[in-house]
Amino acid sequence: MIDLRRHNTVLVGHERYFLFQTETRWRMVHDRCPHRGGPLSLARRTPDGRRLSCPWHGTKIGVAALCRTALPMVRSGDEATVVLPGTSQDAPVSVIRRRILANLPPDADAETDPTDCNSSTGSAQPH
Amino acid sequence: MSTGEPHILHGANPYRRMLMPDAMSEVDFSASLGATELTSHRSLAAHRVLGTFYEAETILLPEQGLQDLRTDFDLFYGTDLRRLRESSLSDLEDFAFGFLDDEVDVTGAWTVEALDAYFQHAVAEADAGESPALTAITAARRPTVAADTYLVQLALDGLTEASAMSKNLGGAYGPEQSALFKIFIDEFGYGVHDAKHTTIFAKLLRSRSMASHVHAYWNFYLAAPLATNNYYYYVSRDHAKFFRYVGAVTYAERVFAPSFVKMIATYREVFGDDVDLHYADEHAHIDQHHGRITRDEVLLALAKRHGPGVIPELARGIAEARLLGSWFDEDTAAQIGWADTIGYHRELGLKAAAESDEGRRIDLAAGSPFGTRSHDRTTALVVADGELDLVTTATGEPDRMTRGDAVLIPSGRLYGLQAVSPTCTYEVRPIADQ
Repeated sequence: MIDLRRHNTVLVGHERYFLFQTETRWRMVHDRCPHRGGPLSLARRTPDGRRLSCPWHGTKIGVAALCRTALPMVRSGDEATVVLPGTSQDAPVSVIRRRILANLPPDADAETDPTDCNSSTGSAQPH
Repeated sequence: MSTGEPHILHGANPYRRMLMPDAMSEVDFSASLGATELTSHRSLAAHRVLGTFYEAETILLPEQGLQDLRTDFDLFYGTDLRRLRESSLSDLEDFAFGFLDDEVDVTGAWTVEALDAYFQHAVAEADAGESPALTAITAARRPTVAADTYLVQLALDGLTEASAMSKNLGGAYGPEQSALFKIFIDEFGYGVHDAKHTTIFAKLLRSRSMASHVHAYWNFYLAAPLATNNYYYYVSRDHAKFFRYVGAVTYAERVFAPSFVKMIATYREVFGDDVDLHYADEHAHIDQHHGRITRDEVLLALAKRHGPGVIPELARGIAEARLLGSWFDEDTAAQIGWADTIGYHRELGLKAAAESDEGRRIDLAAGSPFGTRSHDRTTALVVADGELDLVTTATGEPDRMTRGDAVLIPSGRLYGLQAVSPTCTYEVRPIADQ
């Protein structure tokens, strides 16, 4: 269970997932570019808003394709419950608050500092 | 329809329900309810109408026979009301439940395994959680009255049990249909009326010396319990929402058994052996099976058969049932708390009245039709002339108020008034929330 007012990034083992907003819908997506594993959470949207441009090598990832592989998630108000992959009930999961640049509109300030993030760690039960 | 009667309880006439015409006329139906408004007066008013509309699609016959009620029967099921119902039902549903589209969102790539994992998480959380309503009963100054208030909310469904479910039994959808029917027939005592769940619920009410005819306690149903009951009709009436219904009923059937175990413990603590808990025992037992049947033979079976296209809808139903169930409990707990502390709220009312401007004045005559209402905002009620009874529970003693008395009514709290003197006047003053 994630409190959406506080968190938007989840670390499961070595894999990171982040909340990606399209229109009014939130999706929990893999923070890994399929090219070389770049951090999609730091990607910029293309001007048409349909793709993300990976900050490592500029690979363009379609938003629709990214959404199709999102983790199963139910949002109810400010809470989200995510079904995480390949975790047992006892596996540790870190929940991290971090500012996700990929959610910014394409014309937002490109120089926003990703370290300006109020990071904190917590725990969540894997489901 | 107004009952036109001064009684606190409704008579044995399932066709007339007090809708408080004056209070209804205040409601702005142009803007839909928000997620935080489920216990508001707007919500109460809408769900009273909605529940009546839904039940007009079921068969309600009074136990004493139709002899004196044939005219009301003809009106309730008649063409005029049917046309009104059919022309406004969908708009009223949008008004009352539209917020769910924003409040609950299901995304991602779902599988049968993911659905089951989510379901197991939701029920584990429910099993581990406290019931605010049961806690409120235990903490109440008058626990017997508080326990009755909870029974009243259960009576909403308990006396017409499984009526919404009946809408999903027709059609042809394979083994899942037969599995759902097994649950339905359990509710109806396998055709044995004495074993029917409504029959044993009526027994529970009578053991508390409470009335057991359908909607005797209409005036005391709270907004969130009404909304919860209506939700199951809402997702059953529209078969496009069938998979949402399945998610919701699976969650409900699974969490019922442990919740009735908790209820039994609370009621034994309050009443000892002076209450017939056959109904609660029955559910604590049979709903273990219903929880298993709905999960294995309906929810997961439908997910496997019909694939990822329907699984998000099934998950959505689970989430919505969980949400509404929590509101049911919280609303009931809040009403128990308020009705149990009227003395304190009278003190607050005097203070608030001294600091507020004059409000709307309302005259009330002895013998006027009795009804209950709530307010969207916290309100001070001040008696300007005469004497009246403030009624906040179905079975507790009302609180007598005379000229100069006041009471603070928190937003969403249900109350009714009865004039004791031949006429009386009271003021309603909205209070700015602190």
